[in-house]
Amino acid sequence: MITVLIDLLWSFVKIGFTSFGGLSMIPLISNEVVSHGWMNLSEVSDIVAIAEMTPGPLGLNCATFAGIHAAGIPGAITANLGVLMPTFTLTAAAAIFFQKFQKSRRMGQILTGVRPVCIGLLLGVIASFSQTNYIIDSAISLPAILIGIIDFVLLFKWKVSIPKVILLSAAFGLIFFR
Amino acid sequence: MAQWKKALVLFGQFFKFGCFTFGGGWSIVAQMQKLYVEEEKTITSQELLDITSVGRSLPGTMIGNVAMLYGYRVGGMLCGIACVIAMITPPMIILSLITYFYTLFRENVWVMNAMTGVRAAIVPIIASAAINMVKGAFRFPPCYILTAVAFILYLFFGVGCAELVVIGIVGGILICEYYERRELKKHDHSAD
Repeated sequence: MITVLIDLLWSFVKIGFTSFGGLSMIPLISNEVVSHGWMNLSEVSDIVAIAEMTPGPLGLNCATFAGIHAAGIPGAITANLGVLMPTFTLTAAAAIFFQKFQKSRRMGQILTGVRPVCIGLLLGVIASFSQTNYIIDSAISLPAILIGIIDFVLLFKWKVSIPKVILLSAAFGLIFFR
Repeated sequence: MAQWKKALVLFGQFFKFGCFTFGGGWSIVAQMQKLYVEEEKTITSQELLDITSVGRSLPGTMIGNVAMLYGYRVGGMLCGIACVIAMITPPMIILSLITYFYTLFRENVWVMNAMTGVRAAIVPIIASAAINMVKGAFRFPPCYILTAVAFILYLFFGVGCAELVVIGIVGGILICEYYERRELKKHDHSAD
């Protein structure tokens, strides 16, 4: 049991440090979990589908799934901690560093460039989600677009909270898709 | 003592965020925008944008990194760790349950339809965060070019976030140096 947990931890520490979130993690994850026999290839593709439908980012969801298959709930916790290792080390250091130099002239210059880049990235994410979420089975889905428009009105005009919008959209999904 | 109390409050808030982390963590940023920028005013929308850029470009998962950066920013390391743990706990519980009822979940038409509905909400949610963060993100006109370049490289060439941030760093320094020097020259001339 302990050796399995150590294996899990090490595999997911590697995954954590070498991946930058999102779909870029899939090849890495699939390599590690398949070679250890924690998941097979079809389970990996299923987990990608599930990870996109459920809350939580892909890396953490795969960690939970593989962890449970390998060693139950303790496995899931261990694998999650592995994926989070960069957060507890690198990001923690970055947080301290960032706080210290936030007021410096050079940091001001850097952020002047990084902010617009992040906006560009956000627009890119919106564009790619628009493709995957409103085009279902390679046809434009009118119900999905209708839900999107309703959500826009709820968020911008009526200032409805995000959790409520998500729950309402699930209800709309049950009504509109048959 | 005050720090423990603060960490506890943050834990509750991030636990709630964690229940609704659809869309690869971007909906977390939208929720943080609503609570911390608009309601509590603990950070500005630019600071949130900075945290998001840094968190997105470091290895690991974006939501963990963003939680750590925000927590540390408002209350030190203890709060940072509290935010991370709180954020990841709900997805872990939910996915553990799904793993046990895996086949049931995958083949249930109702579940699938509800989830298709939720997916349709992702774009408006991310847009709600983006629109607020645009304010103050463009200090000089060439910054718009950086946005366009990042958008095109990300969407059409699959360039990763870390590389894009490096472009932003170099671009930012160049743009600022140019404008700061021009400003200096103007002052020299007016002194003559």
